[in-house]
Amino acid sequence: MTLVKDRVVLPEPGYGMQPDSQQLTVDLATMSTTEPAAAAMYQAAGADEDAAAVNHVDVATETPEQRRARFERDAMQYVDQLYSAAMRMARNPSDAEDLVQEAYTKAFSAFHQYKPGTNLKAWLYRILTNTYINLYRKRQREPLQSNSDTIEDWQLAKAESHTSAGLRSAETEALDHLPDSDVKNALQSIPEEFRLAVYFADVEGYAYKQISEIMNTPIGTVMSRLHRGRKMLRDMLADYATERGFRAHTEDQAAAGSNNQEKEK
Amino acid sequence: MSDCQGLGDCDDTRMQRIYEYLDGALTREDLSEIKQHLDTCEECAEQYDLECLIRTMVKRSCTESAPENLKNSILDRIHAIKPVEA
Repeated sequence: MTLVKDRVVLPEPGYGMQPDSQQLTVDLATMSTTEPAAAAMYQAAGADEDAAAVNHVDVATETPEQRRARFERDAMQYVDQLYSAAMRMARNPSDAEDLVQEAYTKAFSAFHQYKPGTNLKAWLYRILTNTYINLYRKRQREPLQSNSDTIEDWQLAKAESHTSAGLRSAETEALDHLPDSDVKNALQSIPEEFRLAVYFADVEGYAYKQISEIMNTPIGTVMSRLHRGRKMLRDMLADYATERGFRAHTEDQAAAGSNNQEKEK
Repeated sequence: MSDCQGLGDCDDTRMQRIYEYLDGALTREDLSEIKQHLDTCEECAEQYDLECLIRTMVKRSCTESAPENLKNSILDRIHAIKPVEA
């Protein structure tokens, strides 16, 4: 009874992440290409490295014009991805555009600090995240979302009240029918630190270490945010499915045990 | 929820293992252990399937194209910047 497992088709592993001393990683070369684990990861990895591989630039000696050309060639290809991420940060498309413009401007000004051969997209994401934190969030009169340390009681209660456990395969199918707008809304409704961690893991397929570098937080915090964020997202999606009448019966729910909320490390 | 303790003795532990499996954050030994478990335990496999689906949905929903003019606006701004020497 496997719904998704059999559907997952992986491209050739193109694992381009940095070696990681703190976190055990998988030797992907030894894994079969049908291995279901880390599906999203492979997809994200390959593309990043291509641009970097052809660049054997000497940053110290290149002229400003050469640097500008290199920036336009290598960095501008990620505008769509940065915009998608910015849409998870800002409240509307217009703010997201401003955010991306600001981040690119900063990235261009700091491009001599970027080390060729390292992950350029992750570098840009980090600048985007910092730009958002420093500029946009401060500008808003109130925080976009409650901080993870002060997470609202109702959110905790909600997470407690229906554990994700009760979802049956019929509900997996029900969720599959949810429109993209529901998924975006669900994601938008979870606290931003969790939301961004989920975004970087699920959409970009970044490893914990990379997310920790982009968000400037310890790996343990990334894992904790992902865990809680995914749980909230799942509960939220189950709610949407219920509202749309997709919900299957969940006899296990009543018997669901109490889940201790994981604390931020 | 669960009688199965194959991936840990509480739901949180089990889900954490499933997340790590999905995220490719396990050693090869752990990976094959979990894969083996998922192949034989319907209950955990359903949890895994659901997480896979949600990941796919998030990825699908959050892949947007930037507005047409954004790239040009960025280029305009960049061209207005005085070059910085390294």
